[in-house]
Amino acid sequence: MDDEMSEYYFTASMDSGKTLCSLLKAIQFQEFAVFCALAEGLKLTVEEGKCVQASAYVPADNFTEYHVRSDVDVMFKINISVLAECLNIFGSGEESSLKMYYRCEGSPLILVLQPQSVHNVMTDCEISTQTADSVLELRDEDTSEVAKLVLKAPAFLGLLADLERSCDIMELKLSPEHPNISIITYGMQDRSCIDMPKSSEMVQSFNCTHAVTLKYQLHHIRLIMKALAVSTKVVVRCSSNGLLLLQLKLEKEDQRQMFSEFYIVPLLDD
Amino acid sequence: MKCHVPGPNVKVLGRTVHALARFGDELYVESLADCVLLRTLNAAESAYAVVKFSKNFFSYFNYNYYSTEDNEGLKCKISMKSALHTFKSPTHMDKQVENLEIKLDPESCKLIFQLRCKHGIVKTHFVSILDCKAMQAVYTKDLVPNRITSPHKILSEALSNFQSSDDQVTVEVSSQNMLLRNYIDTLADLSKVIRTQVTLKPAEFDGYTIGADTMITFTLKEFKALLAFAEALSLPIQIHFETTGRPVVFIVHNGSTFEAHFVLATSKADNASQITTQNTTHNERTKRKDVSSSNHSARKKPNLNTDISKCLEEDSHLFNFIHIPEEHPVAVSTDGNVGNNNPQIENNMDCDVILPSPTAKALIRRVFKRCFEQTIDLTNIQGTVLAEDSDPDT
Repeated sequence: MDDEMSEYYFTASMDSGKTLCSLLKAIQFQEFAVFCALAEGLKLTVEEGKCVQASAYVPADNFTEYHVRSDVDVMFKINISVLAECLNIFGSGEESSLKMYYRCEGSPLILVLQPQSVHNVMTDCEISTQTADSVLELRDEDTSEVAKLVLKAPAFLGLLADLERSCDIMELKLSPEHPNISIITYGMQDRSCIDMPKSSEMVQSFNCTHAVTLKYQLHHIRLIMKALAVSTKVVVRCSSNGLLLLQLKLEKEDQRQMFSEFYIVPLLDD
Repeated sequence: MKCHVPGPNVKVLGRTVHALARFGDELYVESLADCVLLRTLNAAESAYAVVKFSKNFFSYFNYNYYSTEDNEGLKCKISMKSALHTFKSPTHMDKQVENLEIKLDPESCKLIFQLRCKHGIVKTHFVSILDCKAMQAVYTKDLVPNRITSPHKILSEALSNFQSSDDQVTVEVSSQNMLLRNYIDTLADLSKVIRTQVTLKPAEFDGYTIGADTMITFTLKEFKALLAFAEALSLPIQIHFETTGRPVVFIVHNGSTFEAHFVLATSKADNASQITTQNTTHNERTKRKDVSSSNHSARKKPNLNTDISKCLEEDSHLFNFIHIPEEHPVAVSTDGNVGNNNPQIENNMDCDVILPSPTAKALIRRVFKRCFEQTIDLTNIQGTVLAEDSDPDT
């Protein structure tokens, strides 16, 4: 078995491709994603204008089988909507088991899907791949984390959905004093402010040692809304250089983690 | 001004703002000693709405919280967009919002809406004040011959038969029945338009008093908005009107805490093109009649003739254009002419009066009108020649 597998760079199988598909849709704001199979798990990354980096991460323990050749980098570019469509090839109501094969650099990604309710039916999909560009390394190991909070995703989504669409800039204020979390948007003439104390029901944990004020493009923040809709909770981390990291835990029946993460670059003061 | 709106009433306020947003782009807020008035006027000045919230609507009410020396309340104009943003989703509002505080910040000239929501979240909207004027319209809702009180469902169900492209509706009333039909542009290709007509019997309504048979035409967009408002709050609608050219007033109130008046300008319906509709698409709605007559006794509103407290003084001439069509000799002639829909345009250009919503002019027919006449009255022609032919021999 092992000998046969080793001719492939990467193979994996899974009982249901459904959750993977919804995770892909959560980050589907660009056409192409960088598909990266690491020993720890599978990661698909999309970027928007070097300002936002979104990844869907599936740890290896979510797969029933998972092999990556340790001597090569398994990394290629793939059309994310085609991949999501293939995973959903029997329709959204159908659970289907999934096998993935990737032979070597330049070869297509092969998906074998088998619906669970119908026997002796299977689909073979070949998705052509491209050589990957480099992925931005936004995380800076030297900077410290200034705030970390855990919020309930549905309530946070409701809050973001209520923000004025015409606003460009969102200001996030975190402070150890009341009100602990403030979100301020500036419109044409008006200003709106949402205050949330850490005692609020939607805040599950709050860690902030000193007050910070950061500005982001509201458009960038909005990109996480699709992912929020399928998540249960969101971990927000703020580093001292203003980089915002949001980790969204996917809603799942079993205990194994699957999540999407978003790095958002702040706006600088002028 | 400073006032607190309790949770359930925030939804009512939200619905009001959404209804007013269909009328105009600016919202006038005025606080008096015992009430708050919200008003709006559309750009063409053919539709106006005022909603009065009495003191009881609020859990706390102080009309001049900051200004102590004079007894003036707040008077201001804000953008409707800002107001809409404050009340983004009125359907969920009563579940999320516990309390709303509205106050004026005298230093920064902002009107502050502070929503206290569930989960301890506080949303504050600082809305810029565009102007410090109040605006009023003058119209009569009392002393009009025609008054109809309708359950909110009847009219919206009747309107659901109309095409989405229809923009005006003609209402023809007599003591026997009420006809609703879509207004058809005289320039439109009659072979392509769909004509819709709905007949409603007086028994469908809670109150039906027609003093003078008449026919009025007004815009559907605002009519639908006010029907949606009445429907959201499950309140009946009172319609007060006189005749064409005079505004029609729709009143929605709950008897105690708020009262809304929606005023629409009416224009003269075009007889020639409309009359033929009567037999072609007669859309008798007998099916629904049984349903409504059975339940209409249950929610009968007795207050048709009671005067509602006057909340508008008469100090402006808005909506006072009101020239009854008979005063204009141009307008009426017997041969089914079509070009006289807008008879008031000439003498209304000068002051602050407003025109009824415009109707189409069949220009070609007006210019070549004489070709369609069976006989030519020479005296009439000679009477109208203002410039002689320069060369009479040719």
